[in-house]
Amino acid sequence: MTERSGKDSVTTLRDLPQAIEPERDLWPQIEAQIAAGAGRVRAGVAPGAAQRRATPSRVYLAAAAMVGCVAVGVWIGRSGLPGAAPQAARPASATMQTAWVTDPRYQRQHAELLRSLGAQLATLPPASRAKVLASLTTIGEAKAEIESALGRDPGNALLQELLVNTYQDEMRVLTDVREASEAGEGI
Amino acid sequence: MTLAQVADSPIDWEGALVERARAGDTRAFERLYREHTGRVYGLCLRMTREPHTAQDCTQETFINAWRALAQFETRSSFGTWLHRIAVNVALARRRKAARDEPVADVDVEEEGAAPCWTLETPVEVREIEDAIGTLPEGARDALVLHALYGYSHTEAAQMLGVAEGTCKAQLHRARKLLRERLNVEVG
Repeated sequence: MTERSGKDSVTTLRDLPQAIEPERDLWPQIEAQIAAGAGRVRAGVAPGAAQRRATPSRVYLAAAAMVGCVAVGVWIGRSGLPGAAPQAARPASATMQTAWVTDPRYQRQHAELLRSLGAQLATLPPASRAKVLASLTTIGEAKAEIESALGRDPGNALLQELLVNTYQDEMRVLTDVREASEAGEGI
Repeated sequence: MTLAQVADSPIDWEGALVERARAGDTRAFERLYREHTGRVYGLCLRMTREPHTAQDCTQETFINAWRALAQFETRSSFGTWLHRIAVNVALARRRKAARDEPVADVDVEEEGAAPCWTLETPVEVREIEDAIGTLPEGARDALVLHALYGYSHTEAAQMLGVAEGTCKAQLHRARKLLRERLNVEVG
């Protein structure tokens, strides 16, 4: 076994490195395997949902934002929306991902969607409008919370990942609303 | 919980990633893979002693984890949950290869409480890893989980599917063999 410890010798077994990196990246094969079950996910069934137990879990704002968006997405019944990165795409570095958020093209599209949101919401039934607004409110709170946490810990890759995902969730909701409005469909 | 309370409390970002993965977000699951693959592969490598087998076990661990995400209790540690899956995978492979070691061979004397597994003199990492690798499978499994990864006797026994007394006996055996093979006192 090849060793990757920074230390040449140890005086207790707990000093041995717990983490050992495999010689190759195992993720592509794992991703391919789990993609084989992606049909279930696209159909709105989360992994292992058949056995899911209803547990009262702590609701993190970021997770809540995602749940809200997924609910809206399923409810609208659309997929493959512009502005949302492919789910199965392998992420680039966290820095590149946060750069995506500040991309002028993204910002233009985001601003345009926000500008037309009011008119589009007006075309929706009150119940639908309330659901969209609730989702966007949750997403907004999640963004503020994550950005605040990033301010305290700017190098945190997990936070950067969550921030990008939350922005993508927001774009997904905004795009769904626009498409539903343009199609003249109630939601 | 109010937003202000949320802002003041430590946020379990890993829990948020688990929630996203549960909803079918493979990017969130890849982030979890990147965070945990080293410790999972390290455990698999020490249990199987064969890099290719350890890689296969690691892949299988994450694939099984993805499929069973709904059953994960968010109150417990995701890393420990992955380790339980990894141990199951490694043991299943070992059984499949029909190389299981009879438990009846172990010494009847049990390991005492609170062993610190301290070496009398410093030992080179490679030397001690090699010595661990030569231990019988049952003794090695117990030692790796307890002495390297810090699981209690009870936890290690549960993971290995053996009685706590058997686990302690295997640890006693591991200590004795390690002492002989390293030629140092293992306290």
